[in-house]
Amino acid sequence: MKSKFAVKTLILPIALIAICTFFTIQEPVFLGARNLTQLFIEFSMIATLALGVFMVILTGNIDLSVGSGVGLIGGIAAVLVFDQGWSAPLAMLTALGVAVLLWTLMGTLIVKQRIPSFIITLGGLLVFKGLFWLVIHNSTVPVARGDEDNLYSSLTTYYLPSVAGLILAGLVSIGLATMAFNSRRARRSHHLPLESATLSTARWAGITAAVFTVVIICNNFRGVPLSLLILSGTAAVVYFLTRHTPFGRYLYAIGGNEEAAILSGINVHRVLIGAFSLVGVAVALTGFMTTAYSGAATTTVGDLMELDAIAACVIGGTALKGGRGSVWGVLIGALIMTALLNGMTLLAVAPEMKFIARGTVLALAVWMDVRFGNK
Amino acid sequence: MNTPILETRHLTKRFPGVIALNDVCFNLMEGEIHALCGENGAGKSTLIKLLSGIHRHGSYEGELLVKGKVVAFRNIRDAERSGISVITQEFALVDELSIAENIFLGREPLRHGRIDWLTMHERARGLLSDFGLDLSSETPVKDLGVGHKQLVEIVRAMDKKSRVLVLDEPTAALSDQEVGVLLDHLRRLRAAGTTCVYISHKLEEVFAISDRITILRDGSSITTLDTKGTSIPIVIKHMVGREISDLFPRKPSLGIGRVLLSVRDLTCTIGSCDKPLLNDISFELHEGEVLGLGGLMGAGRTELLMHLFGAWGERLTGKVRLGGKPYDYPTPPTSIRSGLVLASEDRRRYGLTIDQSIGFNLSLSSIHSFTHWGKISAASEYLRNQQLFEQLRVKAPGQTSIVGGLSGGNQQKVVLGKALMTGPSVVMLDEPTRGIDVGAKLEVYELINALTAEGKAVILVSSELPELMGMSDRILMLCEGRIGGEFVRGEFTQEALLAAAMGRKQTSSVAA
Repeated sequence: MKSKFAVKTLILPIALIAICTFFTIQEPVFLGARNLTQLFIEFSMIATLALGVFMVILTGNIDLSVGSGVGLIGGIAAVLVFDQGWSAPLAMLTALGVAVLLWTLMGTLIVKQRIPSFIITLGGLLVFKGLFWLVIHNSTVPVARGDEDNLYSSLTTYYLPSVAGLILAGLVSIGLATMAFNSRRARRSHHLPLESATLSTARWAGITAAVFTVVIICNNFRGVPLSLLILSGTAAVVYFLTRHTPFGRYLYAIGGNEEAAILSGINVHRVLIGAFSLVGVAVALTGFMTTAYSGAATTTVGDLMELDAIAACVIGGTALKGGRGSVWGVLIGALIMTALLNGMTLLAVAPEMKFIARGTVLALAVWMDVRFGNK
Repeated sequence: MNTPILETRHLTKRFPGVIALNDVCFNLMEGEIHALCGENGAGKSTLIKLLSGIHRHGSYEGELLVKGKVVAFRNIRDAERSGISVITQEFALVDELSIAENIFLGREPLRHGRIDWLTMHERARGLLSDFGLDLSSETPVKDLGVGHKQLVEIVRAMDKKSRVLVLDEPTAALSDQEVGVLLDHLRRLRAAGTTCVYISHKLEEVFAISDRITILRDGSSITTLDTKGTSIPIVIKHMVGREISDLFPRKPSLGIGRVLLSVRDLTCTIGSCDKPLLNDISFELHEGEVLGLGGLMGAGRTELLMHLFGAWGERLTGKVRLGGKPYDYPTPPTSIRSGLVLASEDRRRYGLTIDQSIGFNLSLSSIHSFTHWGKISAASEYLRNQQLFEQLRVKAPGQTSIVGGLSGGNQQKVVLGKALMTGPSVVMLDEPTRGIDVGAKLEVYELINALTAEGKAVILVSSELPELMGMSDRILMLCEGRIGGEFVRGEFTQEALLAAAMGRKQTSSVAA
């Protein structure tokens, strides 16, 4: 039992290390500061989207429309900035509003009309793709006019100054320590069981080391990318929601046993619609980053990202039938997906092989979910 | 004397912790209609599953003989090959397919590897007209009423050359007129030499149709009687046959307080069925009272609780008052907030999030009381969980243990704990002791006593009459969605309760 647990928790980091080792041997540049920074930006996009989809999968539903949504929402903001001359923040806020509206609408349809989420979001995939192409007139719409920079274009081009990155890492480390300390003190004062101080310290030290390593690597290139901060913020919010709020608790309860959740007095409809609305937010954030990363809204932005996001969730141990999964798992799953995609691009693997590899990984992850999911 | 067409010798079937059948001997003579009677849980369903091959040979002790030869059914097909067909309460019909397709499902007449539609419909038409059924073989089954579906199942069984037809509660969903038609058909089949096992709670039907009656009680075959030489009261006496022991420590509350819940003329439909499942239900529930709710399977007990709680059904008429105020638009969240809680009978389906911890489940209905500024206070949640965990004496390493790994009794305690944590005034318990051991049962009974001592009111649904009689201050027996009788403590006898459950008014015991 215990050794099985150990295997289960260690298998993901081991897989990640194996993937990185393989690519590094093939192409040492993989571990270079430049490529790793690149990888972190790509990771930010996949992981932010995956965190949104994660909340829906927790309830036992699915969202296939997020990839098209990424293109559409990024495209709307780009059109508002480039064609209409809106200021970037206003354009992005408007596009965000549209995203939340669309996903709230899908959630409402799923819940009130009892249409399976699979079907509604499959429809969404196609409808959003069509809307996207309509909005950008099948052309390329840059995210900024001329050569000027705006908030939109800086999403993936702005890097924190080295010192700021280090200060931020320090603050995160101190913040985590304070939170852990306060939590221990509160539990002790209530005479609640405590985990060993060594374990808490080790976990804190591990996270701190990881944060500083990332900052130092990024500083060796241009600094910590802004997109990584967006992801960190998203992850912190989703972590708080799923771990510390009734809303998050209900996501697990609905996915674990929807009928029991209803009879426990949970307003299942409201929670599900809320989860879909939040996916809208994640789609918008990812849409802005992804469009900014490619410099312009083009017809292929967001293609197949729904599959990468779902794969990240499943690889990270989120059960497709709902009720099980964690933010940490999703982040590692997304990192594994990103490393694979980035490494293959670096090795100039042919696009046809990349499709095959992506598909194989997705099928493999779902197979593992089915095979080992409930053991 | 003829050899029986079907005979069981000393059948014993064990499930983990339970003996479902105990040394059952029973024989079926060719061409008779043989009724099986018994309370819920007497072992009728298990016996049918043995006869029909669902419980395969080797999973039980004893012998099963067809025409005097021992048989070893591995599955339903083996049983069908020996001429035994079972028609269960849940239809094994495919709604979207036509009558003919259903009759020949899995045995489609073929011609050069293709389905021979002409032959199929021709044969189906022949079968239907043999049965006097004026139906087109091309009608989709979903367009048929329940009675006709039942007959289509019988037609299908007859076409399989069944010599023994086992009918499990065939009339549960039929109108009186449809019952008459069905019984006529069975008489015709009997005249043609088919043997029937007829299982029904409705003793009038049993007496109208059967030649002999075998009575099961607590998994044992009690006796077999000739229908002509016996009477309904004698059959009921054999079905009950148990003494109430001191297992039920009910301490009636000293004073029954004010009315907490009142229900007036409640009629409602449940699910897609238009026929009301609950009819003209009226009762009151007082502080400190345990109201027992009894009835046979399908009488509407669970439906009544689920409806009052706001989970099921659409109300056609009726007024409900909770704590003196009108409460006519229930939903589970408002019920819980108003102090009305439900602990469901089906723990795994409706009660628990099985992959989560004890603590997760205990606090699920009460999380808002631990939430400050949107954040769950882990400490106060833990403490409250721990309090109930200890109070209910859940046997587990700790509240972080996964609920799915607990025994039935401990799972039940978690379900009860979740309901109690919300601070209810009316607690509805649906079969709270089903499938749990004696020790855990006693703890549940003590919990019920503690609740009523605090002035809370309890509605207790139970299929076990001794439990119902032992723990209730007052008992309502439901019969086909109506109140079949109301009894106060002191008037309880198993015979009277069972008679009320079967819709037979015994004027001496029925309080007005």
